Amino acid sequence: MLSKVDVGPHATSFDAIGVPWRIGVHDESTPTALLGNPLDGHDREAVLRRIEQFDRDWSRFRSDSLVSRIAREAGSWLLPADAAPMLALYERLHALTDARLSPLVGASLERLGYDAAYRLTPAGDALPAPRWADTIALRDTGEGLVLDTVAPVLLDVGAAGKGYLVDLVGDLLASRGVTETLVDASGDVRVRGERSIRVALENPLDPSKAVGVAELRGAALCASALSRRSWGAGLHHIIDAVTGRPVAKDVIATWAIADSALIADGVATALFLVDPARLSAHFSCEWVRLSSDGRLEASPGFVGELFA
Amino acid sequence: MFTSSARTKAARIAAPIGAAAALLSTLTGCSTAATEADAPATAPVNASYSDGTFEAAGAYQSPNGSENITVIVTLKDDIVTDVEIVTNPANPTTANYQGQFSDGIGALVVGEDIDSLDVTVVAGSSLTSQGFREALSVIKADALES
Repeated sequence: MLSKVDVGPHATSFDAIGVPWRIGVHDESTPTALLGNPLDGHDREAVLRRIEQFDRDWSRFRSDSLVSRIAREAGSWLLPADAAPMLALYERLHALTDARLSPLVGASLERLGYDAAYRLTPAGDALPAPRWADTIALRDTGEGLVLDTVAPVLLDVGAAGKGYLVDLVGDLLASRGVTETLVDASGDVRVRGERSIRVALENPLDPSKAVGVAELRGAALCASALSRRSWGAGLHHIIDAVTGRPVAKDVIATWAIADSALIADGVATALFLVDPARLSAHFSCEWVRLSSDGRLEASPGFVGELFA
Repeated sequence: MFTSSARTKAARIAAPIGAAAALLSTLTGCSTAATEADAPATAPVNASYSDGTFEAAGAYQSPNGSENITVIVTLKDDIVTDVEIVTNPANPTTANYQGQFSDGIGALVVGEDIDSLDVTVVAGSSLTSQGFREALSVIKADALES
């Protein structure tokens, strides 16, 4: 479901997959404070179609999506061409977090009340996610990647899907000859080309404050916080798949920087579930995390400033 | 969350020394035992201080018995560059209160106004979708009525 709203002379703005997006086309002379110029009408339409396609495939919030069909019956499902990189990342993060990060948490989230109707009231005890190896298998075929399921299963790609979509939108624009872009999908940002940008790391407890600024060039930065998608005491969207419960609020916000927004988004989520050193050992990434006691930490290679 | 020994570190705070002295006196304000401090806690606000790391331990009587906290302050050029609060609660109830106290300090020191920064974009968590926000406001309204 897309609604189109342009604000101001700079950059392209619209709402999609439930959040505001902004896309700018820039060069090295674009001022720091600006995203760049808007897309032309054809590019913009192509971007909206690409996002709509992703939503139709992967959203668990619409009944006509592929994910909703997979949730209704077991079987073998031919996945779209964009599935392989995303599910490969999920497999890596699933292993690195000892199964605490999983794409199979859809039913766990629904149990907690975060469902397509936004019921937002728990419907019983926490529901652990089904075990990956018992439930799904991925198979490469001549037609593409196929997902085999032994039972209906509700996938949730919330941990990395939006970041991945930022990559896909930038890829699409690059294929149309628009190579110097900044794509900002509300917390997931990727900049391409020679330009450096500065990204404020928003304090999750006070959106008027930043706890730091990251310098970003030819890379992606993704943010995650427990405070925004929270609907009750201890209820929020970062789920431990092993228990089916929201993670404890020891870490309240994370930011990750990587070459792709897919990896940055996945790592930002995984930072709630596992020691950062374990992620750094397996991914080329930098990170910042804010703990509930006000402690702010960053990886040694983080480029930017911290204010705390 | 805070067990037998908890540490709260609020790194790299830029604050005038006067504010730090006030902070220290607040932290140790309820102590009944003497503070054992290297820092000149009662020095005039406009004085110049030695660079270095200073530690002050405070003890106080809570309903649960004697409790301790330790505050470690790092000074450079009369600016507090680091404050660390170490709580050593002997009792779970105290641990809870000290935890809240430490949280308050942490919340106090984190952040600069985004409006004052020359940045391109702001990265918080995802702005919540319209549906989510509407549902949440309904729940809040329900909660008010009941």
